Amino acid sequence: MSKAKIRLVYKQVIDASSESGFEKALFQASYQEFLLKSQAYNRYGKLKTFSSIKANDGRANSLHYKLGFSVGHFIAQLNNKMPVIKDNIGNKISFEAANFELIESHIDDISLHKIAVNYETGALILVELMGEYMLLAPDNLPNSEPLETFVLRMQPDLSIITYEEISQLEIGLN
Amino acid sequence: MERKNFLKTFAIMAAAGPLIIDGCKKDGVTKSTTSTTGTTTSTTSTNGSTCIVSPTETEGPFPYPGGKANNPLKRTDVTDSQTGVPLAITFLVVNVNDNCNVVTNARVDIWHCNKDGYYSGYANQPGILGTQTYVGKTWLRGYQVSDATGLANFSTIYPGWYTGRATHIHFEVYVNNVLKKTSQLTFSETISDAVHQSSLYAAHGINTTRNASDSVFGDSATDLANETMSLAGNIADGYTGSFTIGIAI
Repeated sequence: MSKAKIRLVYKQVIDASSESGFEKALFQASYQEFLLKSQAYNRYGKLKTFSSIKANDGRANSLHYKLGFSVGHFIAQLNNKMPVIKDNIGNKISFEAANFELIESHIDDISLHKIAVNYETGALILVELMGEYMLLAPDNLPNSEPLETFVLRMQPDLSIITYEEISQLEIGLN
Repeated sequence: MERKNFLKTFAIMAAAGPLIIDGCKKDGVTKSTTSTTGTTTSTTSTNGSTCIVSPTETEGPFPYPGGKANNPLKRTDVTDSQTGVPLAITFLVVNVNDNCNVVTNARVDIWHCNKDGYYSGYANQPGILGTQTYVGKTWLRGYQVSDATGLANFSTIYPGWYTGRATHIHFEVYVNNVLKKTSQLTFSETISDAVHQSSLYAAHGINTTRNASDSVFGDSATDLANETMSLAGNIADGYTGSFTIGIAI
């Protein structure tokens, strides 16, 4: 197959049913911040849900990044290692950036609060696709054989967000 | 449950607990109650003694990692490694509906751009250093709660600027978790121009958007005057300024 330089993103969705301490911390902190920061676009609490606030005032889209500040400290504790997904031998996957996303919320009902963190990897070399498994290599290795690789299964909430076809000769040159 | 209410409720429960237990001992009857979260508690009688199943409540509020009870953004010094001319700001929060008496426990949030005109937290920002992404960074952002004298202090740096806006700092004020004010403040252009020509800011130079022609400050000379923070100090030592935020409660 053709080799490619790719970036992966894993979307961790967090809602009232989430159970880990990390997820609960993000859930609580971002909801408290939503109650505060959404008021700028919803004076007097006239609207109830994030989607209705956003539909009424497009500036409410800034809540994605504004709420992100309330959880940044928790995400920093991950040390750039994704929670939840691992490669085929149990190693955590490194991420380069984590983007907070407010999916939905309700100013009177925390149970309807739903958020996501999108963890984006750095550039990876997609060496081979084997069914649902990807043979990957970091894009920062010296140009030497053998290539250090790892195997990751394609799974729900994991996606390839950038794709750049490269020749085999280019692997490891960057 | 909101943290303050949680703590308040906890305190009330802690104080009331012995009384409830004593009460049960005295009358010795079986009771059932329902907590505020809808979790039913029940009383069980065994050999004449009485006890209750402790009510179930939410596990929160969650302390921050490392045991910090507060959001790390609750901080006086928001500099967070950003370089620039030091700027110390003291906000005084007053209630215009109460003889300008001070407002205590008001949350004051501030945020502003760095010396090069970029904000933390944003992706793909154009500017003097080219397109920059600072997602995950929180520099030059923070909040404080006004003290018993209505004061909230911050240590930061003098803001730089970006194309299309006068030099400014954003702020918001919340009282009892209700947003009471969203606004911005600016500075004397004489001082801003001097700062922006000093060594750390010189690459960008003087702000091309003047206060009077700014889209935010320029619509009212009166508002501009009331939104201009007076400063004392100099470039070498930094500046200090105080600003009174009047809110109607």
